[in-house]
Amino acid sequence: MALADFLAELNSLASDAQAAFEKATDNDALEALRVEFLGAKAGRLKAIQKGMGSVDKTDKPAAGQRFNAVKELVEQTLEAALTRLASATTTSSAEAFDATRPGKPYHRSEWRVGRLHPITQTIERMKEIMGRLGFTAVEGPEVEDDHHNFVALNIPESHPARDPLDNFYLATAVAGQNGTAERLAAAGPDGKPLLLRSQTSTVQIRVLEETPPPVRIVSLGRVYRPDTADATHYPMFHQIEGLCVAPGVTMADLKGVLQMFWQSYFGMESNEPIEVRFRPSFFPFTEPSVECDIWHDGKWMEIGGAGMVDPNVLRAVGYDPEEVTGFAFGLGIERICMRQHGITDIRDLYTNDVRFLAQF
Amino acid sequence: MIVSTEWLAEYVDLPASVEELTERLTLSGLNLEEVQRVGDDNAIDLEVTSNRSDCLGHLGVAREIAVLWDRPLKRPEPQPQDSGEPIARATSVTNNCPELCARYTARVIKGVKIGPSPAWLQKRLQTLGIATVNNVVDITNYVMMEIGQPLHAFDHAKLAGGQIVVRRATVGEKFTAIDHKTYDLSGDEVVIADARRPVALGGVMGGAETEISDETVDVLIEAADFDPLTVRGAARRHVLFSPSSYRFERGVDPEGIDWASRRCCELILELAGGVLCEGVVDVGGPRPRQLENNRDHIKLRYPQIERVLGVVIPSETVRKVLVDLGCVETHNCDHCVKVVPPSWRADLTREVDLIEEVARIYGYDKVPTASQLPIVPSALRREDVVLDRIRRVLTAAGFDEAYTLSAVEPELIDAFRPWTEKPALSTSTSVLRGATCLRQTLVPSLLVCRKTNEALSNPVIEQFEIAKVYLPRDGGAPEERRMLAIASGGGLLELKGVIEALLREVAPRAKYTHVATSGGVLDAQRSVGLVLNGQPLCLLGELSAAGRKRFGLRGPASVAELSLGVLMESVELVPTTVALSPYPPVSRDVNLIVDESIAWAQIEAVACATGGSLVERVVFQDDSFRDATQIGTGKKSVVFRLQLRSPDATLTSDQADGVVSRVLTALEADLGGKLRA
Repeated sequence: MALADFLAELNSLASDAQAAFEKATDNDALEALRVEFLGAKAGRLKAIQKGMGSVDKTDKPAAGQRFNAVKELVEQTLEAALTRLASATTTSSAEAFDATRPGKPYHRSEWRVGRLHPITQTIERMKEIMGRLGFTAVEGPEVEDDHHNFVALNIPESHPARDPLDNFYLATAVAGQNGTAERLAAAGPDGKPLLLRSQTSTVQIRVLEETPPPVRIVSLGRVYRPDTADATHYPMFHQIEGLCVAPGVTMADLKGVLQMFWQSYFGMESNEPIEVRFRPSFFPFTEPSVECDIWHDGKWMEIGGAGMVDPNVLRAVGYDPEEVTGFAFGLGIERICMRQHGITDIRDLYTNDVRFLAQF
Repeated sequence: MIVSTEWLAEYVDLPASVEELTERLTLSGLNLEEVQRVGDDNAIDLEVTSNRSDCLGHLGVAREIAVLWDRPLKRPEPQPQDSGEPIARATSVTNNCPELCARYTARVIKGVKIGPSPAWLQKRLQTLGIATVNNVVDITNYVMMEIGQPLHAFDHAKLAGGQIVVRRATVGEKFTAIDHKTYDLSGDEVVIADARRPVALGGVMGGAETEISDETVDVLIEAADFDPLTVRGAARRHVLFSPSSYRFERGVDPEGIDWASRRCCELILELAGGVLCEGVVDVGGPRPRQLENNRDHIKLRYPQIERVLGVVIPSETVRKVLVDLGCVETHNCDHCVKVVPPSWRADLTREVDLIEEVARIYGYDKVPTASQLPIVPSALRREDVVLDRIRRVLTAAGFDEAYTLSAVEPELIDAFRPWTEKPALSTSTSVLRGATCLRQTLVPSLLVCRKTNEALSNPVIEQFEIAKVYLPRDGGAPEERRMLAIASGGGLLELKGVIEALLREVAPRAKYTHVATSGGVLDAQRSVGLVLNGQPLCLLGELSAAGRKRFGLRGPASVAELSLGVLMESVELVPTTVALSPYPPVSRDVNLIVDESIAWAQIEAVACATGGSLVERVVFQDDSFRDATQIGTGKKSVVFRLQLRSPDATLTSDQADGVVSRVLTALEADLGGKLRA
């Protein structure tokens, strides 16, 4: 076959296909056309391809090239027609779709009660126990200013905790020269950069600033630290912090409250008395500072930091450390939750695999 | 901090077992990380908190042991023979930046013989995991691990002019460190220079050109006090963390500097020979220490101990603990004790700091587990109650709760913007793989989870999340709005059913209106906005084909996002009951022909408004019938039921028909609706 004949056949097939696909008004018609033009056994394109065998050897590359181009074109035309029909379906019925109608019940093959996320379950349980001990749950902003995240917590300008590499400082994008976006530090009321809070103690400061003593609160929520995500670290996690400030509050009260808290928390699985142990530690916002362990399941389990509110913190919120004392404690929710449920990778908590969530 | 028990035993008699030792240390502030047996020695890894730089040397740890077990501390008193020429002839030190280096001391030993350290010294360093180099370098490391003061030895012959200049680095200055890498200095570092060039990055690392080699004959020993922040900055900037920078970052004992220098020289004379030049070049002095109330001592009032700890500690015990720790007592009476804290405890400046010292040595186990707090009421916040109820509705409806990250990739910000057009706040470093923007809606995060679940072929993916979005405001912190987002495989109306159910649960009398949406990733027709009290409450809809493609989803998906703050304003947590009629209702079905464009909400509104108090419910039934030949082009048939009831009597048929006809008249007048023949 001469190359010219071969090409002419191809071209006429291409224009036929285009015209036919464009006219198709429903999916059945389109399917019939697909078989006619692109059918693997008896399609017109297939027939032409068979004819290529008789094209002159020297012309074969040119013939092959054109054949492929046309094949692709026809396939694209089909794709376009399919899309057109699909959107036409929604448009035509859409004109009649009345979104103000009342809702309908779900019809599912399987009836199932959804699950609360294990973090919610842990938080709610802790909140509920602390509530019975007289601690009211409070929340505060996750985006904090320098004063609440550092200054009022007795973390001076020179403290390593302020390092830009240890915090998520925030910036806002502004249109710069040449239409490029530039980063401009997002500043708080004091003109210093805003950041994602690195601890929920910020909320305690906010409450103390506005409330005269006595204060008994738990603050909860998301906190952020630039940790590389691995099985035990995630840049976002949850904290619960208890705070009690009043005249005469002592470290014995702290120990007692923690003991009652953990006794209640683990009460369902264990009748053995929970014992609380303090190990000296260091935090800028408490003095003395301790790490707290509890005796549970036959071993000491580290559960978080605690201490007596540092006099500098009390002064920063306008309290007189000669009048009142206070204790504070904090713990990471993920760690407790993971240990309780045997979760070995913290990232599982944020992947939200339905099968994972269904286990709680 | 790794300590060797053999080494510790040189300064204090250790308790019988390593277990007893580490247990007590753990409970008094030096937390045990790990014990490793190294030959006949033990390497104990202790966690030292950042305020306790005094324990970054064996002597400091030995002091703790001495205090805890009430045993004497044997501290060497180095007295090296300085029989050489006066030091002023050998070197000079100029300090051009006392703010970065409070004190600099130099001693020079001439004629040393460089060689390997003796076996005992090598063994001690090896126990600690420190590589041995040669006798002089090993000795500087040894003394650092003994007292916590970093030292540096220069090859004196290689110092241009034989002198030391302490100064701030210049911008772009080059420095070649012992690791033979060249660093471009930023100008914020402190450098030790000779007459020509920097020879050490102060407090961080020595320089290659002046390091001790086999040819070294004369050595200059540096013991200094570099500014913690400057050292930390330099170590971070050049990623050069060393045992030296670690200690300077935490602050060194200003009075330990000369001790360390003498100790180092004494050991060099003993182990490498040579002659020590007479005297020391000592520039600067200790940084000023500020004690509470600008006193020259700290006052500890005895009653304060019980006030803070909840336990009485005998004053004799208090005094003994403080003195054992190195405090100098300047006063004692029934009421208080006054002490001057030791130079190595920069963390002790206040009364409460002393209380902590007494507590940790006396033992926290003696603080009773006994809360004396009075019973006080506490209540759940309104919002918590609402969230709890919403979670109940959603789990009952078969939705699982998801938790997703508060930051998203910039592309996800652009994908869906229901609440703001302002650019998102971004974080200085990526929160997680490219997630640099604080999210402004939860929906994209849930759709990403949906894709993950689709990929796992999880058959039912019905999820919700309650979390905050961050809407930027001009000047100051963003507005943090708590949202409820739902992602479902059901259609718009199924999702709407869920929203209605939760509104009934917490805000039964909330009356919202519908508004059209602008589409985007949502199907413009199969989506709707709900407005409550003039504020946007909720956006819900099915994803368009483009929207599904945008999120890489195969199956159908619908989403909703509800502003919980707007909802809170209409929340009624304590419902008030109304009297119920004892009479049966009467129902009338209506089949109304209206233009397709008439929305059910309009029909319902007219019916409620005109039906009067007898209308108990207006119940939608169907609007699917369309047939141009039967009901006309562009018309639809809407079937609904009017349920009527009177509080006073059973309604008669006539009464009911009266209401229906009133409603129909209004529907025709207002909406052009006609009863289907």
